[in-house]
Amino acid sequence: MLLFSKILRTGIVTEPLETGETVVTLGRQLDTRVQRLLGRALAVREVDAGSCNGCELEISGLTGPVYDSERFGIHFVASPRHADLLLVTGPVTRNMAVPLRKTWEATPDPKLVVAVGDCARTCGVFRGSYAVAGSVDTIVPVDVFVDGCPPEPADILRGLLTALDRWPRR
Amino acid sequence: MAAALSPNLTSAVFLVMVAGYLLGAVGSLAAASPAVTRSLTAAGALVGAAAGLGLAGMVLVVGAPFAVTVPELLSPGGGLALRLDALGAFFLLLIGVGALPAALYGVGYTRAYAGRYSLRWLGAMLNLFLLTMSLVVLADNVLTFLLMWEAMSLTSYFLVMTEHDGADTAAAGGWYLAMTHAGLALILTALVMLIPPGPGSTFAELRLTVATLSPTTRSVVFTLAVLGFGSKAGLVPLHVWLPRAHPAAPSHVSALMSGVMVKLGVYGVLRFALDLLGEGPVWWGGLLIALGAASALLGVLYALMEDDLKRLLAYSTVENVGLVFIGVGAGLLFAALDHEASAVLALAAALYHALNHTAFKSLLFLGAGAVLHATGNRNLNELGGLIQRMPWTAACFLVGALAIGGLPPLNGFVSEWLLFQSLLPAIASSAPLVPPLMTLAVGALALTAGLAAASFVKAFGIGFLALPRSAGAAAAHEAPASMRVAMTALAGLCALFGVGAVVIVPRLAEMLRGYDGLTGQPAPLAEGLSLALPGAFGGMSPPLVAMGLVLAVAGVWLAVRLGGDRRLRRGDTWGCGRIGQTARMEYTSTAYAEPLRRVFAELYRPTEDLTVDVHPESRYFVQSIAYRSEILPWFERYLYTPLLRGVDAWAARAQAIQSGSAHRYLAYLVIALLALLAITLARSG
Repeated sequence: MLLFSKILRTGIVTEPLETGETVVTLGRQLDTRVQRLLGRALAVREVDAGSCNGCELEISGLTGPVYDSERFGIHFVASPRHADLLLVTGPVTRNMAVPLRKTWEATPDPKLVVAVGDCARTCGVFRGSYAVAGSVDTIVPVDVFVDGCPPEPADILRGLLTALDRWPRR
Repeated sequence: MAAALSPNLTSAVFLVMVAGYLLGAVGSLAAASPAVTRSLTAAGALVGAAAGLGLAGMVLVVGAPFAVTVPELLSPGGGLALRLDALGAFFLLLIGVGALPAALYGVGYTRAYAGRYSLRWLGAMLNLFLLTMSLVVLADNVLTFLLMWEAMSLTSYFLVMTEHDGADTAAAGGWYLAMTHAGLALILTALVMLIPPGPGSTFAELRLTVATLSPTTRSVVFTLAVLGFGSKAGLVPLHVWLPRAHPAAPSHVSALMSGVMVKLGVYGVLRFALDLLGEGPVWWGGLLIALGAASALLGVLYALMEDDLKRLLAYSTVENVGLVFIGVGAGLLFAALDHEASAVLALAAALYHALNHTAFKSLLFLGAGAVLHATGNRNLNELGGLIQRMPWTAACFLVGALAIGGLPPLNGFVSEWLLFQSLLPAIASSAPLVPPLMTLAVGALALTAGLAAASFVKAFGIGFLALPRSAGAAAAHEAPASMRVAMTALAGLCALFGVGAVVIVPRLAEMLRGYDGLTGQPAPLAEGLSLALPGAFGGMSPPLVAMGLVLAVAGVWLAVRLGGDRRLRRGDTWGCGRIGQTARMEYTSTAYAEPLRRVFAELYRPTEDLTVDVHPESRYFVQSIAYRSEILPWFERYLYTPLLRGVDAWAARAQAIQSGSAHRYLAYLVIALLALLAITLARSG
């Protein structure tokens, strides 16, 4: 009862969607490409290898109601066993080096790795810390780096699109 | 073929059955070495059970009852009278189906008993138990029935007590003995109420008396019989002995008690309701449906929470007996409403489920026994990984779990489907209160079936898959050949009874003709390879379903072989990238049941106790975690504990009579004598 009366009293609070044309165009291109290559959605597993969570904010923005990546067939999954692509963020900390490696091993072939954010390429401000094992490409082979601190959702979509060019053909 | 069977042949087979069991009992006691005892026990039981099967088959095929009377034995009570009709023969068949594999299994299973427990008495009691069970279904007068019933209860009590030094064995035996004797008292009262004045107490004479009884008396007799036999069958709330006695008994005995003996409770109710008492009021059926539905639901809900494999199976027996009673109740209800075709269908479904339960529950108990034999452990939370070490047992247990979970094409699916089909048309009945009752029963049946599947996913998944959780489970070994053969035979039967339903179910319906006013020609329940139901919504073909499933699996396998990517990569189980995966990270039995424990928290009333010890320097370093969770034992706390306390109080008061003074005892004698004289004088004068 409370729930329904609250819904009635509150009304609609969502704002009109103002996504730039870029995101929609990129999303559509991605959708077509994924359909052609995989014949289904692109299953993405996100791995936080030690990030400050800035990149995570952008990635979850991608899945949120504004960007809504699911409509372009980009599906975030709960296990690397289900994934086509790994989205790795952050400098790889010592604690996460083995889990990242294991995640990569657990992902079925063929697979792609997209490293998101400056830290993933250079370790950023964390470089040289005793807790950091190295950049992502020192642990697993990386197909595409997405630069930015943090990169915008559109940048991440662009990175995914670039990565798909490297999808092995039969 | 029917004409070829002479009475001499049936008598000979009967004698072979009795002689087999008796020689098995005597041989076990007299044998020189443990190995000989084990072989003689099994040989006697195998011969006896095979002859019992033969006798049942003859009576079922010929259709003519087999009868023997020995008036010289125990002549004051009317002598021993034995008669095997179709109903009895069906249950004799069920005994044979359970006894043959159990006897064979015992050879390997009891090897470890030598020197610890008495193999001789175990063998003797096992044979006598099987003999008295067989004679219960043959009994044709009150004396024979009660004697055999009591002998069956006592021998099974001794069997439960085999592992007498077990922690809970004595308590389990006590519960069993008390419950079975409470039941016996009720059955005795029910039978005595039917005995006609004057000599003679054969069942035929009882049937004649029934015609003279008032409807109220008949209903009282029926209620007493349901409660009395219900205590043996494990109907809620009389089920409390099952989860205690079944785990305490040796596993092949558990299989017999759970698969066969509890069915004799069903037999008793059927003998009273269908045969002795004749057609009754509608509420008889309603009572059985209500008790059955309660047993089915509570049984499966408690099975789901159980971590002990054999206790889980015992609760699941409560559930399945509940399902059988739903069918029996529906049959009686339809018969009272004159829906003859539906009555036959419901009763046939109930009998078929009873037979199927014998097959798969015996199989599961034998499987649990093989696990116990190999690991010395029944706690699911300490098992795991057994599929690699004992693949044969695991495969057989899986077949049993699939059958009891009601998956096609195995037998549990067919009989549960039949039960559904027999209940569904009643929802449209015009009789008052019947549609809501049946709707509830169908709902209970559906929920039970789902929860049963969940509890056996737990039993198999936690017990047999993944990594071993204890040293015992890691060192497990495959069961010896005799145990494997017994389990494989039962697994085969589960498949056979599933596919063979088209042949068996119409026979069962045929067999029921003549009972409880079901006089008419029953509609044929099968057409070609399908089960086709009269007036119901549908039909189903178990053989075609089985064939379809086999073809589908074969098709997928072929497609993968031919078209798929054949490069194989082996990797660790995915554990979120954790370093150093151990068995402690596995899902446990308790964890698996946790969501349902929350859903049904109103029933379980779980109490949880979590103690975390942290390092004195930082609360982030946990040194030990202790978790304990219990569910409320409703029946013990609110029914049996007050009852036992009352009995204790009354017993303490009654002690006043037993003063120890010889003078007082002499006074009692004189008073009793005078009272008797007075009564005699009054009656003769």
